[in-house]
Amino acid sequence: MSPEPPLLVVEDLVKRFGGFRALDGVSFHLAPGEVLGLVGPNGSGKTTCINVISGLYPPDGGRVSYLGHSIGGVASHVLARRGINRTFQSPKPFLSLTVRENVLVAATYGNAGVAPDLDALLASVELDTLADRPAGELNSAQQKTLDLARALATSPRVLLVDELAAGLNPAELGRMADRLRALAAGGMALLVVEHLMGFIDRVTDRVVVMNAGHEFFEGTLAAAIKDPEVIRVFLGGAHG
Amino acid sequence: MLIGAIVAGVVFGLYFTLVGLGLNLVFGVMRIVNLAHGDFLMLGGYAAWWLLSAFGIHPLPAAAIVLVVFMLAGLPLYYLVVPRLQRARDSEMLSLILFFGLSQMIEAVTTIVVGTTERSLPGRLLGIGPMIVLGARLPKPWVFSAAVSAVAVLGVYLYLYRTRLGTLTRAVMVSRDEALATGIDIHRVSAIAFGISLGLAGIAGVFAPFMLGSITPNIGVGLNITAFAVIVVGTLGNPLGTVVGGIVYGVSLMLMQTYFSSWANLLPNLLLIAVLLARPQGLYGRRVRLA
Amino acid sequence: MRKRGLLPDLLLPALVLVAFGAAPFLYSNELMLFNFVTFLALAQGLNIVYGFTGYLPFGYVGFYGAGAYGFALAVMHLHAPPLAAMAAGGAAALVLAVVLLPLLRLSGAYFAIASLAAAQAVYEVVSNPALENVTKGPYGVSLSGVFAPRFSYFVALAILGGAFALVVWLRNSRFGLALQAIREDPVSAASAGVSVVRGRTIAWLLSALVAGLVGAAFAWHISVFYPDTAFDLGVSIFATVFVLFGGATTLTGPLLGVLILYGVYNWIGITVPQYFQFIYGALIVGLVLFLPNGLVSLLTARGIRVP
Repeated sequence: MSPEPPLLVVEDLVKRFGGFRALDGVSFHLAPGEVLGLVGPNGSGKTTCINVISGLYPPDGGRVSYLGHSIGGVASHVLARRGINRTFQSPKPFLSLTVRENVLVAATYGNAGVAPDLDALLASVELDTLADRPAGELNSAQQKTLDLARALATSPRVLLVDELAAGLNPAELGRMADRLRALAAGGMALLVVEHLMGFIDRVTDRVVVMNAGHEFFEGTLAAAIKDPEVIRVFLGGAHG
Repeated sequence: MLIGAIVAGVVFGLYFTLVGLGLNLVFGVMRIVNLAHGDFLMLGGYAAWWLLSAFGIHPLPAAAIVLVVFMLAGLPLYYLVVPRLQRARDSEMLSLILFFGLSQMIEAVTTIVVGTTERSLPGRLLGIGPMIVLGARLPKPWVFSAAVSAVAVLGVYLYLYRTRLGTLTRAVMVSRDEALATGIDIHRVSAIAFGISLGLAGIAGVFAPFMLGSITPNIGVGLNITAFAVIVVGTLGNPLGTVVGGIVYGVSLMLMQTYFSSWANLLPNLLLIAVLLARPQGLYGRRVRLA
Repeated sequence: MRKRGLLPDLLLPALVLVAFGAAPFLYSNELMLFNFVTFLALAQGLNIVYGFTGYLPFGYVGFYGAGAYGFALAVMHLHAPPLAAMAAGGAAALVLAVVLLPLLRLSGAYFAIASLAAAQAVYEVVSNPALENVTKGPYGVSLSGVFAPRFSYFVALAILGGAFALVVWLRNSRFGLALQAIREDPVSAASAGVSVVRGRTIAWLLSALVAGLVGAAFAWHISVFYPDTAFDLGVSIFATVFVLFGGATTLTGPLLGVLILYGVYNWIGITVPQYFQFIYGALIVGLVLFLPNGLVSLLTARGIRVP
């Protein structure tokens, strides 16, 4: 256990789509200042997990608690104000709005307290020079970064990051990793879904390995890659 | 009286299957809504009227002529508008607006050419006197139109399941992207489906004067709503599901006319809204709701 | 950067209001001027829901008709004074909009068709001979007791002013920005803390209110009308074409659409409406294919901000 009490606790979470159990009893917890990696083969339920925690889908079983309160089934826009936010696997900016307007909406509507300084925020993710450009003119990596900036504009305490690194060049990857570490150092709790193991290694304190909708390993990445079960899942039957 | 209404409803509904069939085929293959479908149907009705009054051609050969002409007209129309539409971000919505415009154009031209007088065809062309089935007195033209509709449904089934092109068409209906990836000429498949759809609308139109009593250039909008209601009830994008939609519509309409006749006109509108809200997938399938 | 737009946003509507305020004293065809004001307001009303949420109700005329009949019923049965009957017209449209709120759960194309079906359903009810004692059924209403063309013209102009004010507000407020965020991506908008349901509901009700009040003003101004005129699908079509032609989300777009297209319509077309039905149909087709964001997109695509 981390010394701090957990901010987010996921217990036996279940999500079904028709007869398919995308989440089949997954459990983990997340403490303030911690970066937890969520890894596993394609289809193991990582993105579904983020979708349920962030309120996009209601859970079909189990519990999600945040600050000691159950939040399963609470709508996304309410969770955004309460301090849980996310990025999307394929970026979803407001294409016809400018970069600044994108974060302005989030800062206005997704903030329970004082909104952050948007100029400083955009500068911190290197989008300040594009502030007045429509988001539709950005490339895919920039749009992903804008997703992150929009989430940060709501001053989250829990940030769910869904494959932010894909498509970044090595230099950008390094800066993104430092950025996420800096957010954690400031007390934010991060859940990072990622396929690039180098990136996971650089940012996470701990990883949870998922397969077929539930977790089966929890610990450091270094320990995970020596675990025979993890090796079997990644290299064996299920192709990742 | 109840049994009679139900039997009449099934026969009437078979005709409305034909009204919706082509619309559903286009939706299934192209994911666009042809809101001018009812206007093509109306054109088919005027074609039948013109072929009879000018050349004395019986509605049955007229239906064959209309089928061919409308199918051929569908091909260039497809290439003119649909590929361009499908490149847009919200092609479903844009297609609706575009075909709404086309619907207005067709209605306007028809009004200019033939005027607003109601036109009808003598029912005796399709048989005289009613036919008694399970106590229901069915006008012969109804039975005739229902039979033509059944043949059309069978034809669409055979096309989709017994021909090579039909197999490709079903592949596109299941997944456009995968069909594209396997090298299927999507535009050829879609253009033919579009042509078939207009042909079906045309045949439905030939029998419209018998089934609706008469036709005017402005029946398109109402028919669009009816056709859409039929295919939403019978599952969007599944042409054969249209049979279920048509029969549900026909039976409900006959029950309304038997028991609440003055409110029967409300039926297609309310049925459409109710089904969209309550069972947006029809019998199974597609999501049309956002939240 | 939004603030820079406020002055031109106010200037343009002010010019239009002054021009149409002075027009009845300079030009005798008041009915035509009234129709201009009507369509200017309807186009901005439709702009509220289409431009800011992306939902295009083909059945927009339903609210206009509900407003007209709300006005007529209040005058016929309650002997309400005209201004109170105007409120009844607005309320009737709002009630209809609330009843139709579930339609907002549908995605765009289904919403458009369902709203058309809803408008047709309301028409079928109002024009039903079975309700002759209430609505006069298909035989139409006569409100000659409250006929006041000049006064009702200025009431319509005030409604236009209100519709302009709503659009100016949406264009320059964070709420308007939130609505556009919903239009672009409802899932992202929810992550940004925006209540999607609340945003769409407000835009829908405001848009319905504008159409309802315009319909009520129409009933007052014209004073004799039939369900076929109050629920004429042509009203929806005109408003849609004007907004699409000029360009949604702006003030200028719908305004230009009305002034140019309705201007041409009055100049040549009234005698053979089918020619115009054809031209409008062709315009819709051409715009969707070649200029889906309207005339103003010729400028906005070059980075020029259009009021």
